[in-house]
Amino acid sequence: MKNWMLLAAGLDTGLSATEIEKIALVLDALEAVFRPLAAALPHEAEPAVTFDAAVEERS
Amino acid sequence: MTIREAARALRARECSSRELTREALDRINKLNPALNAFITVIEESALARALGMDEGLSRGHDRGPLHGIPVALKDVFSTRGVRTTCGSRIFAEYVPDHDAAVVEKLEAAGAVIVGKTNLHELAYGVTSDNPHYGAVHNPWAPERVAGGSSGGSAAAVAAGMVFMAMGSDTGGSIRIPASFCGTVGLKPAYGRVSRYGVLPLDFSLDHMGPLARSARDAALALEAIAGHDPRDPSSSRRPVERYLPEQEVSIRNMRIGLPERFYLENADPEVAEAVRRMAAIAEGLGARVVQVRLPDVAAINAIGRVILLVEAAAILERDLARRMDFGEDVRALLEQGRLIPATDYVNAQRLRRLKQQEFASSWTEVDCLFTPTTPTSAPRLGAQKVTIGGKAEDLRPAVTSFTRAFNVLGLPALSMPCGLDSQGLPMGLQIVGKPFAEATVLRIAAALEDATGLSHQAPPPIG
Repeated sequence: MKNWMLLAAGLDTGLSATEIEKIALVLDALEAVFRPLAAALPHEAEPAVTFDAAVEERS
Repeated sequence: MTIREAARALRARECSSRELTREALDRINKLNPALNAFITVIEESALARALGMDEGLSRGHDRGPLHGIPVALKDVFSTRGVRTTCGSRIFAEYVPDHDAAVVEKLEAAGAVIVGKTNLHELAYGVTSDNPHYGAVHNPWAPERVAGGSSGGSAAAVAAGMVFMAMGSDTGGSIRIPASFCGTVGLKPAYGRVSRYGVLPLDFSLDHMGPLARSARDAALALEAIAGHDPRDPSSSRRPVERYLPEQEVSIRNMRIGLPERFYLENADPEVAEAVRRMAAIAEGLGARVVQVRLPDVAAINAIGRVILLVEAAAILERDLARRMDFGEDVRALLEQGRLIPATDYVNAQRLRRLKQQEFASSWTEVDCLFTPTTPTSAPRLGAQKVTIGGKAEDLRPAVTSFTRAFNVLGLPALSMPCGLDSQGLPMGLQIVGKPFAEATVLRIAAALEDATGLSHQAPPPIG
């Protein structure tokens, strides 16, 4: 699991230790589900974010 | 009265738009102190507009079924010259110089906007217990949450203040309050309704849609607001269909999927039973109910949470300097988003595409899915946990667990009432359709309404 306390300090979030502890619990739980999924991603998988070069068609 | 009934009465000169609007405003004035559903009411301009709609109709200028009908907007839709707070102190004084695309379309369809509804701060939560504008109270039980984030819209429709109210839905924010307040709530497919002019919470998960008293009313609203908009980069070019189900609607031979795992086993037994009952009613109407195995929904939820946490934090990062102007829960979510690495966000968007491909195979077996909308009925205001089958769960992940995946997948999904639980509170059935199959979802909902009358149950007298 990530060290959320260090990450928060690095970002200078201004969060108190108690607030970070609370957040860490939530993020740890999310991480436990998400990490194995991300680890199994095939290299060629493309993101679901699109960019349309033909911007003039939209305006 | 539904939109269709009011539209008929208007054309038969049994009432005027001004009378309907006056009635709506009187009901808002009477009930809003108890429900806190509205942040802003625009009485004068609504009455003037209603008069104009009456004059138009008398001259034969009929704009369609929403002509002269009083409606409301969640206070995230920009309204030119009218304060748009987003339920936030950050935007407390924001007066847009433009209308959202949905507002333009509703006005073109003749609707009369009476006000802006209360919501969870920045549309980022499931209770609508707003630290700046006060909590929205559930019309069925004022000590209960209305759900969120479109809680004011759901409460306003359930309490009969307006015929229809617009909401936005990033992880369940239309369907959850619809479930808790006993209304219909429709989240159309991603790209079906323009996001232009709505404060974004999450570019890739935000959907706009109506909350209404019946599936047919939701269909009429969707017909008015759907369509391509070049100002929204995610707007679909697919042609808009006719969404209104016919009077004698048939669902014979439709294939309804009941997921084998996740939903019914994670819902309160009363809710699970209500959903099974609705499936049995659909079967009685000639539909075929089949068990389906879906891809891992908990995984799709996790993907959605990563995307939401990061995009919301990116959108609002510049405002985080005003830390004390955020409520505690929203500030914590925004800080969580800042802690997630960029690689996780990109990988979440990669996983989203893979899960969409996996999920697509489910549609070879069924035409729609039935799930509960929420695992329980409305929790009490201030509760941090919900009890599901005797087990206490954290409120936010529990309440969004059945809805979030369909934002990630961009599928149309509707919540409709499926009865009252033993506490007398509404429970919601979620009907999920294939990509852009809103017409199918609405058709099934209308057939169930016709068979059960459940959408027309009103809450007990308020106040």
